[in-house]
Amino acid sequence: MFKLPRRTLIYSVLAACAVLLAANSLSCFKNSTQKAFKPQLSLIGMLKHEFSGIIFYHRNMLLAERAQNDIDVLRLKLFDLREVALENERLNNVLGFKQKSPLRLIVARVIARSPESWNSSLIINKGRNNGIRPGMAVITPRGLVGSIIESADNTSKVLLINDPNQGISSIVQRSRQEGLVNGTLGTNLVMRYLPDDASIASGDMVVTSELSQVYPKGILIGRVMNVGREFSGLNRYALIKPAVDLSNIEEVLVIIP
Amino acid sequence: MRKLYFLLLIAILATAALSWPRFLNFFYCKPDLLLIFAVALVFYEDLKTALFFGIIAGLVKDVFLPQNFGINALCFSVWIYGAYRLSRQISTKESYVRLGIIFAAALLNNLALGLNVVVAGNIVPAGIFLRNLIITAVYTTLLSPVILKLTDLIAL
Repeated sequence: MFKLPRRTLIYSVLAACAVLLAANSLSCFKNSTQKAFKPQLSLIGMLKHEFSGIIFYHRNMLLAERAQNDIDVLRLKLFDLREVALENERLNNVLGFKQKSPLRLIVARVIARSPESWNSSLIINKGRNNGIRPGMAVITPRGLVGSIIESADNTSKVLLINDPNQGISSIVQRSRQEGLVNGTLGTNLVMRYLPDDASIASGDMVVTSELSQVYPKGILIGRVMNVGREFSGLNRYALIKPAVDLSNIEEVLVIIP
Repeated sequence: MRKLYFLLLIAILATAALSWPRFLNFFYCKPDLLLIFAVALVFYEDLKTALFFGIIAGLVKDVFLPQNFGINALCFSVWIYGAYRLSRQISTKESYVRLGIIFAAALLNNLALGLNVVVAGNIVPAGIFLRNLIITAVYTTLLSPVILKLTDLIAL
């Protein structure tokens, strides 16, 4: 076994302490040593930093991916909930109207629209089995939508008020001026056969008249936008903006006479 | 089997036309998917088959229209026969010729339907008439490559 004499060991330790004390007190030695070690220490520090950065980046990337997935799922759920909330609001509105209204009403959902642009119609999910027959009026809480023209067992076809084949006997609410409201396939309706001295102005409300055999009296059709003179010069006409957004109907109410 | 696929395609196109989303309407116009299918049959099938499925497509469309049941079945058969006669005179192999024929058929179909509305005594403003006539025909033509491809896949 390697063995140092005791005296030699003590001298060696004392000598090492003396060297360390001397080196510590000599700043030039310290500086030069630190300077010599700086590049490799910096390099190792940088590598350590980068390496931990890579590890953290990877971990963060995985976390971010997971969080993004969660966000997507929640966003989808939120969208569904918003849709449900809107539907709930609409149905509450319809139900409230149904309960308040003196009319006998059947709530129906729109399931399809006309496949072409030359007519304006809807298909609803209630038919003969629910008591719906041709000739019944269709409304929403906002106003008139149209009338049933065909009913199958479980579906019915609704001719909207902006279809040119639709003619509604109507009156101006303020002046009780009568006229015939027709569809034009556009967003507005036209009220025709108004005499030259008809009392009608922009902003007047137009409602169904009691002369109509299909529609109950007093259902809101729309508001007068503009009044003009027909090409023949004999009559005047009025452009009417429907009270209901006809391109955006999801639930309707069918009036049972 | 192929005939079954044609019937299935008619059902799919009719469903798409009936539930066409509002945001895909172009100036309030929607494309006539069943008309594209009916005319496309002429390019891939014989006249009898094209007429048979064309009339079925027209009848399916008529079922969902409020008035004039049968007008589309009649019009589709006329356009199919016209396209067939034209295909005997000129080559219809080029896609632009096919698109041209579909555009002409869509324009004539819209003209027939529009005049039917006007002749019935209804008032349609000139702007709306022209919009329905031209924009619907253009939109129909723009969507036709997709349906031509589907018909081609089934006919092969």
